[in-house]
Amino acid sequence: METDEDQRVIPFQLQFDKPVASQIKIAEWNPEKDLLAMVTEDSKILLHRFNWQRLWTISPGRCITSLCWRPDGKAIAVGLEDGTVSLHDVENGKLLRSLKSHTVAVVCLNWEEDGHLIRDDNGNISTYEDRTSCFFPPAPRVPRMPGVVSGDTGFMDDNEDSFQELSNSSHQRFNILCSGDKDGSICFSIFGIFPIGKINIHKFCFPTPLVGTQATYRLLNASIYKVALSKDLCHLIVMCSGELIEDNDASRDRRTAGHGMHGLHSLMLDTSIFWKRKNELHQVAQQASNIEDLTEVIRASLSVMCKQWSDAMHTFHEKFDPLSTLIIDHGLDSSPQEEFLSLLGGARTSPPVHQFLVNSLGEVGAKRVSKVVCGAGKELQLIVLNHLQPAAEIIGFRMGELRGLSRWRARYQGVGLDETLINNATEKAGMLLVQVERFMRVLSSVVQQFSNFFNWLLKCIKLLMSEPSDQLLPYNSELAVIFLKFLYDQDPVRKLLELSEADCDIEIELETMQRVKELVHFGGFLDCEYLRRTLAKEFQQMESSFKEAFLMPFSTISEKILCENLLPLFSLPSSPASTSFPVPTSISYYEDSSHAMSSNQTSQNSFIDYISFQIPEESFPEIANCIGIARGFMNDLISVKKGYSSLEAVLLGVPDGYHCVDLSLYKESQIVLLLNETTSSEGSGDACMMIVQANDLPFVSISRSTSLDYWMLHQLKI
Amino acid sequence: MDLENFVFKKVTEEIEARKRASERVSFHLHAPKALFDLVEDIEAPADPKSKHSDKVGETSPYVHPPNYALKEFEPNSGIFLRTNWQIQGYLQEQADALEKNGSSFSLNAFELILRQLHKLAPELHRVHFLRYLNSLCHDDYFAALENLHRYFDYSAGTEGIDFVPPASGSNSFGRYEIALLFLGMMHFQFGHPKQALEVLTEAVRVSQQLSNDTCLAYTLAAICNLLSEIGVSNTAGILGSSFSPLTSIGISLSVQQQLFVLLRGSLKRAESLKLKRLVASNHLAMAKFDLTHVQRPLVSFGPKASMKLRTCPTNVCKELRLSSHLISEFGFESSTMTTDGAFSTAWLKNLQKPLGSAILSQENGSGSNENAFQFCVQPSSIPGSVLQLIGSSYLLRATAWELYGSAPLARINALVYATCFTDASSSSDAALAYVKLIQHLAVFRGYKEAFAALKIAEEKFLSVSKSRILILKLQLLHERALHRGHLKLAQQVCDELGVLASSVTGVDMELKTEASLRHARTLLAANQYSEAAAVAHSLFCMCYKFNLQVENATVLLLLAEVHKRSGNAVLGLPYALASLSFCQSFNLDLLKASATLTLAELWLSLGSNHAKRALSLIQGALPMILGHGGLELRARAYIAEAKCYLSDPSFSVSENSEVVLDPLSQASVELQVLEYHELAAETFYLMATVFHKLGQLEEREEAANSFKKHMMALKNPLDDEDPLFNVL
Repeated sequence: METDEDQRVIPFQLQFDKPVASQIKIAEWNPEKDLLAMVTEDSKILLHRFNWQRLWTISPGRCITSLCWRPDGKAIAVGLEDGTVSLHDVENGKLLRSLKSHTVAVVCLNWEEDGHLIRDDNGNISTYEDRTSCFFPPAPRVPRMPGVVSGDTGFMDDNEDSFQELSNSSHQRFNILCSGDKDGSICFSIFGIFPIGKINIHKFCFPTPLVGTQATYRLLNASIYKVALSKDLCHLIVMCSGELIEDNDASRDRRTAGHGMHGLHSLMLDTSIFWKRKNELHQVAQQASNIEDLTEVIRASLSVMCKQWSDAMHTFHEKFDPLSTLIIDHGLDSSPQEEFLSLLGGARTSPPVHQFLVNSLGEVGAKRVSKVVCGAGKELQLIVLNHLQPAAEIIGFRMGELRGLSRWRARYQGVGLDETLINNATEKAGMLLVQVERFMRVLSSVVQQFSNFFNWLLKCIKLLMSEPSDQLLPYNSELAVIFLKFLYDQDPVRKLLELSEADCDIEIELETMQRVKELVHFGGFLDCEYLRRTLAKEFQQMESSFKEAFLMPFSTISEKILCENLLPLFSLPSSPASTSFPVPTSISYYEDSSHAMSSNQTSQNSFIDYISFQIPEESFPEIANCIGIARGFMNDLISVKKGYSSLEAVLLGVPDGYHCVDLSLYKESQIVLLLNETTSSEGSGDACMMIVQANDLPFVSISRSTSLDYWMLHQLKI
Repeated sequence: MDLENFVFKKVTEEIEARKRASERVSFHLHAPKALFDLVEDIEAPADPKSKHSDKVGETSPYVHPPNYALKEFEPNSGIFLRTNWQIQGYLQEQADALEKNGSSFSLNAFELILRQLHKLAPELHRVHFLRYLNSLCHDDYFAALENLHRYFDYSAGTEGIDFVPPASGSNSFGRYEIALLFLGMMHFQFGHPKQALEVLTEAVRVSQQLSNDTCLAYTLAAICNLLSEIGVSNTAGILGSSFSPLTSIGISLSVQQQLFVLLRGSLKRAESLKLKRLVASNHLAMAKFDLTHVQRPLVSFGPKASMKLRTCPTNVCKELRLSSHLISEFGFESSTMTTDGAFSTAWLKNLQKPLGSAILSQENGSGSNENAFQFCVQPSSIPGSVLQLIGSSYLLRATAWELYGSAPLARINALVYATCFTDASSSSDAALAYVKLIQHLAVFRGYKEAFAALKIAEEKFLSVSKSRILILKLQLLHERALHRGHLKLAQQVCDELGVLASSVTGVDMELKTEASLRHARTLLAANQYSEAAAVAHSLFCMCYKFNLQVENATVLLLLAEVHKRSGNAVLGLPYALASLSFCQSFNLDLLKASATLTLAELWLSLGSNHAKRALSLIQGALPMILGHGGLELRARAYIAEAKCYLSDPSFSVSENSEVVLDPLSQASVELQVLEYHELAAETFYLMATVFHKLGQLEEREEAANSFKKHMMALKNPLDDEDPLFNVL
């Protein structure tokens, strides 16, 4: 049954040719524009226009194992060797997000958008809009580490604008990125950002692929080749290699079922939860992914502040530490603070202090340190005001919105939004706001004290050098005393910012403590001790409470993804090397035009799946050089119950003298085959491309009733 | 006289003093404070201990060793001569305390001290000012006026003024404009908006004449504050001629537009003069304005004319954030350095605590880890006025979120204020924060907890007339009376609330509208529909006249409710829709959700064929209602949802009983917390019918019993265990 009569050989015209330094491993067209993303062997991602104009190149540093576009074509998801999935901006290749959801190499990625506009059966609650953009100016961004980025600020601004735009636009439509790894785990994330589920195909029990026997099977040593979500997000077809074994519950005695069940299988998973709870998931993911963005902002702010402040403090101590050695050198038994205090008190200026102020520090030095410390303080204040505080506020708002959703139990319990956990998270967000305010006050008064101290010091230096000192800023001697007592050798700001292992309790005024306790009666935070924590600690706690709250939907959804069906395709040599055995495969969903039965069914069935794959020569010597195409797998189980099988398959023979290099299911049910001439081994062997209209092929219905035939292809043999 | 004892008494008194509430306008609080921040013109005798006073005329020539305060503080060791500086410090402290505690300060005792002080040191003009403040706090109009006049007569306002002296030597005129500014604010404080506006306009004129820009900036801010607080329907006769920014435009503007122009002008002026505090307070005023006003472009045609007639919440947020930039900028303000001695009193207070003594003890705990945070315990060196402004930005945030509908943020912002700012704020602001928290409690957790909290708050802010706490108590009592069906009590409470408002037109608008709204609701509860509608109509007219758009939305919703209850659903629909569109343009999301709910109830009462539409309306509003609505609103939504299902002919109870029973049981729980007998009875009735249809007899009987219980309670309102009733 060779069906190469469709083949029309059209000589291709070479549009442009461009040598690339390294071999291309993966290439994907942008779904919207004429952009081609390519991955080279040396782990670079290249983005080219159709005319080979190169837009950008990035190298993530690790081996890239898979790549796919976001359905709107504005971002690229890249799967890396170490299990990270990272998103890159199409404009400039900037890393937007990276999520380490796998532990081993991510082999395949599939990003599917909900094809339809949101249409609920009632047509009602679809219009829940995110109120945040209405009430808040654009969310704060990650503060820049000073000194790291310089010069190209214009570019950076551009960059960040597109980032904003991107993360907004990504939240327009519901989409799911699923990624499969070498070990058989599949992760799902909404918008490619918010992880919503993780399953491992090893854990599934399959009903027997054979009608008749009642055993259940499991997959062993499975490795995923391809994942494909259907357009309505209801089904996921996974192509994986692995060993099918019988799962004998009673004895736990797993024996290999039959002969050579190691091979390529096609699994169908029921992901209809994504469809059924689409609106709910969409809203939750929208809020949650934004919250995660904002916590990232807070984390970065904290680390930037910590870095800046400790740098400034380092400079301060570097300049002032010599004083204590000077004091010892002069044989005095006192501390720098005491010496300064006596200077402040108007007592005799001791020689070490005199020497220190006039000679080692000097006016210029004091001014410089003052500038460094006060400048850093000012920077910190700006970071709090422009990044930290707004981010914390918006987190509070978004958490409040989520809490509203979580209370709608009828709808949101199904996606695992738990009211108590979200409540807890909201409380933590509130505590963080209080902590930020407290930190700001401490910081402001510390900065004030420092500048006051330096004003005084400058004056003293002027006096000691008997220069006129009327041009100087006034100072307050009481503040100077407080500074010497509490700030000279201690650093509360850094203590608040740094996460130390030891639980250092902050001393709280009795009055404040009483007030906090009293506030409980007014609906305040039940945890009265929260003011004893440092800002960094509070942030950590908030983060973990968020994690806990979001883990709930994650695990709930994961549990609801079930395996429906399994179709063994062909066997593979069960050599240990077979895990990396490349088999060209392709899965796609086309609108079902041939079958009229869709009219009486719901929208779920208007698509039909096509699975095509090259059959390696080793598996079936008798049908060498063939390509198998199966369709209707998705609806098979439903159909079987109704008494007929919708699964159909066809075998395409590749013309003699060619062998198939790659195949792909293209638009409008076309199968594109890339064939290479095998005969002319050297030089430019003729390669040709063959396009076959898939739905015109004479598909043969396969019934599942035949008992012994594991590999479905046996039925297709002539 | 032994001033020392007085100081000591005052200090201890302050620690134990209960803060009482007072009704003061927030801006007013800052001007006298600012006034005291600088003491420079009095030549005090040099302190023998300060050897460092090398430069006369500096802001802080007195340097004190740390134990200075300790040595001096020996209350009973005989009479000391006080330096002028010390008395100034004392007076400043008293001014702060007055500001903080308001009317809890005893009028006569302090007056006595001040009189004696005046006798001993007649050249100390500031005593007059304190006497003015004291009488202002105690609502003594004549004494306040007299003392203010006296102060400016004697000192010509040159003593202790924060303002930057004008560049030219125009001092010869004295500080007439400043006197006018204070007079204007005093009138405002006493609720005479007309006089206040006249005086302030005069102050603008004079400061323009004398080119005193600083005073002009403050005066403009005061006028803005006045215009935004007082309901003015027409300023044509008052602001007209003498005021340049408005007349220069040459078109007649509405009050709101005038206010906006003024605010902008004042903000710009304050920014150019680097008056950081004024800038922050102007940002706050701007945020307040943006909260309730649609910014219509002055010129509304052409291709770029925006057609968006909505308020702009992002602007509110931006203004609020800008105002909190003050905390990083206050140090750069032109003329504010904390005067020496400001902390000595704080140290004295600390002396009485075992912990605080660390500051004066000679062992220095260097290096030890816990000590790093001792700094946090120390009295903050940030000036109180700065903290007040920052704090009020949080209060405004809480108010904004109450309007916009985000319950958690409203609560959290009030909590931030109550946790971080109560030590620095005036008692009226603190009371406001607590009031917000208690209201939140009442709405979300029922009256029991709210009244318990109210009791604590009452002790904290001993209530005097017109205080917020008293108003809150009346509000809570009214709500509860309505829910329990004590209509007589409700009417009584409502009348008392109305009496609290001033009789002058345009003053206490908020209170007046609230009282009238509550009156209408009471009438509605008594099924006097036409009377309730009449009251609501007149209220709507008043709100329209004074441009209270937010209240308009509420009144319209009430009218829809009246028609719904009276059975005229068709008449109610336009009101509900009008309220909805008001809510939309003012971004009142929570009110919008409740208007949607009313709309759904109206549709539902039109017949079962509208049940689908009603259900979809309710479900659209549910995330909002459940997240941010109070117990009552949530319960109503649940009941309406269940009713929609039940009246839908295609819905069968037996198949899908959970869909109905789940919301109903939630509603019943919430209503029982609220003691809302009428709705609770309805819920149980619905539940009983559902159980009946399901054939679950036992549950049916249980629900029926609960129904009966609530109906009985509604019919015979018991006055038992109502401790607060006696208070009235």
